[in-house]
Amino acid sequence: MTTISLPPAARSRSGNRSRNRYVAGLRTWRGVTGLVLVGTVALAGLLAPWLTGADPDAQGPQALAAPSGAHPLGTDDIGRDLLSRVLHGILTDLSIILTAVPAGALTGAALALLAGTSRAADLVVQRLFDLVLSFPGLILGLAVTAILGPGRWPVVIIIALAEVPYFGRQLRAGVLVQREREYALAARVGGAGRARVLLRHVLPNAVDPLVVQGAVALSAGVFIEGALSFLGLGVRPPEPTLGSLISGSVAYLDTHPVLAAPLAVTTALVLGFTLLAEALNRGART
Amino acid sequence: MNAFSAGSGGPLSLPAISRRALLRGSLAGAGLLALSACRSAADPSPGADAVSGGAASPRRGGVLTVGVGVDFTPALLFAQSANSLLQRLVFNTLTRYDAQLQPQPELAKSWEVAADGLSVTLKLREDVTFHSGRRFTADDVVFAVKNLQNPVRSAQLRSTALTVADFRKNGDFELTLVLAHPVSNLFDLFEFMIIPDSQSVEDAVAGTRLVGTGPFTFTDRKPGSSLSFARNEKYWNPGRPYLDGVEIKVIPQAETLLSSVRTGQTQLTYAVRGKDVATLKDDERFRITQYDTGAGAFYIGANLSFPEVQDKRVRQAIAWAIDRDRLVQQALGGYATVSSVPWPKSSPAYREQDATRYHHDPEKAKALLREAGVTSLSLPLAHSSDAGSTAVAQILQYDLKQVGIEVQLQPVDSPTMQKQLISQSMPALWTLSHSFSQAHPATLAVSAYPFNEAKNTSKFSSPAYTAAVQKAWNRSDADSPEAKALYQQVTDLLLDEQFIIDLAIAGLVEVAGAQVRGVTLNKYSYLNLDDAYLAG
Repeated sequence: MTTISLPPAARSRSGNRSRNRYVAGLRTWRGVTGLVLVGTVALAGLLAPWLTGADPDAQGPQALAAPSGAHPLGTDDIGRDLLSRVLHGILTDLSIILTAVPAGALTGAALALLAGTSRAADLVVQRLFDLVLSFPGLILGLAVTAILGPGRWPVVIIIALAEVPYFGRQLRAGVLVQREREYALAARVGGAGRARVLLRHVLPNAVDPLVVQGAVALSAGVFIEGALSFLGLGVRPPEPTLGSLISGSVAYLDTHPVLAAPLAVTTALVLGFTLLAEALNRGART
Repeated sequence: MNAFSAGSGGPLSLPAISRRALLRGSLAGAGLLALSACRSAADPSPGADAVSGGAASPRRGGVLTVGVGVDFTPALLFAQSANSLLQRLVFNTLTRYDAQLQPQPELAKSWEVAADGLSVTLKLREDVTFHSGRRFTADDVVFAVKNLQNPVRSAQLRSTALTVADFRKNGDFELTLVLAHPVSNLFDLFEFMIIPDSQSVEDAVAGTRLVGTGPFTFTDRKPGSSLSFARNEKYWNPGRPYLDGVEIKVIPQAETLLSSVRTGQTQLTYAVRGKDVATLKDDERFRITQYDTGAGAFYIGANLSFPEVQDKRVRQAIAWAIDRDRLVQQALGGYATVSSVPWPKSSPAYREQDATRYHHDPEKAKALLREAGVTSLSLPLAHSSDAGSTAVAQILQYDLKQVGIEVQLQPVDSPTMQKQLISQSMPALWTLSHSFSQAHPATLAVSAYPFNEAKNTSKFSSPAYTAAVQKAWNRSDADSPEAKALYQQVTDLLLDEQFIIDLAIAGLVEVAGAQVRGVTLNKYSYLNLDDAYLAG
């Protein structure tokens, strides 16, 4: 029995160590910049109802109005308050990616663990990942919306589906390395079943790369939502999303530069997530 | 044609005259200028205005680059489609309408409609050859009519072509068409029907070889990318065309097309959206012209197989609920006219009081809904998923919400939208734009999918509508007071029933580089470049 009490202790030590490494990674200039960018954008989205009193869907006679007291960022092409739409758009985007990415990560991880159970399962899961990866993200999106029609849930499904193989492959690679290590061998020798070794011993030591992948996936999620909405296949209008706001404003950019606001916010969000991913990655490696 | 120019001020304004033209003009002296003015005043050719307006004689040579949003579909060569520009480049029609909707000679030199309206005798030009070298004769007209009668060709004016029951040839260049019954839109057919070469018609609908009698020969086609044309050296119209060639480039993205226009890579286009045109109108490098033609009548359609919209008071309430002025200003950039009827101002059926019958009156809409016993209403609205149509749909959704009608938008890609229109599988409401109201009114009601009295997308049918349409169509006098009274009956029925709720009329908007002169469109959006040239 004493042999069994060892791995949890080892795990908690390794858990602490990796957490510290991530915190150290976040403390670099990359991490801080990323946190500030994502934090500011997310906070603006979350506080949208308090930051602006304007209804994001209310239309008015003033189209493409210049910034004023009533409309701090002016209005869009059909007379809606741009600030309110950007803030509520952030909220929509965040709610989409924060649903889709964890869903994709959990599905990917579950499939990777399934692949770890037998050679046949591994083959099937691997080919499944290959199949999804063979579609570029946008083509995958077009295929799904062709079946489900445009809307919020299809966007969530597309982002999750596009991320499944990345999470799955990362975890599978980790599992393959870890399960040959001595502690896993020891656990098997000690009589632990296949599932127990996989879940209790191997998995906790193989999840590290997924944290980085999570940040990458969040930025990819913003990008996929933007691309789908730009093509008119994203969340149904009039609900604002960053992608649909960019799509609606791109024709007026040279005459109404303030309409670049959604573009700037999207860039900040994607850049923030990318910097976070990079910071976590560097932290994990040191 | 309701034409105006913006930006360059007008054809006579100084920025429109290039340095070379100015030099040439000053060298030629005032006497010559006066002479050219006299000549153009006497010249009945349609390009005369543009030619004299350019303050220089037309320049030969150069290749005109035309930008389109949708590629040419060879299978739809004999139908009006989203890209019908090349029809009048490679081919000719029998007659063409002038601005007053009076037919003018093209391949037919003259014509005579019998007093009973049951036959028309055409005298044809004798100096016309096809690009293949074969001579054009009356047999080619017979072939063209029979070709349109073939349902495979999907010609919208097939019903009119079908009224031609017999052909009587009198020599090679005189032909009498015998009609089953008089029709008021016979010259719409002659404006619409291109004369193809009978020997290569299958190649034409396959898109490999287009042989006609027109000013340009078809030289190359890269599907999805471009179409090329070269000058027809043996064109029957002497000295024309001025251009060496035409290049049609397919640019599906509206933003890319717009920047292609801005950078001068595209010299002529009809595919810039109204609200994008608004961003070009103050730029003197461009000339903007509005046409009454094109699929530009915006409307909301109601599918009457859904019980929610079966009560006409509900449909009338929708008509009162929409702020058409805001729609035109915000979604169409001001390049449209508010209208409750399908007819543009140039149509014989147009009347000011009909066009303004419905206007923005939310209270009236609510009252009508109450009268119909509707307390809450939730309806789907299909629209094309591009940015322009989405903006239109969102405005409609918002306005309907103000009178208590909740609308769920259903973005659909454009080809599916067209399919649903033809197969009559639209949801309760949809929004699109329609064509075929620009020529004679009967053409709309017997040819356009939303309005066809026998089979329409709304699944609307009423004996009164069918009777009014048939009476307006089955007569030979298209412009007489009696005919106009019948058009009025059709208009009154449309305004009352509102199965198609017309919102605004936006014809094609031509955006041309300032150096492009003498371009016209026919009533079916065929591009006529006979008199076009690139000023120096």
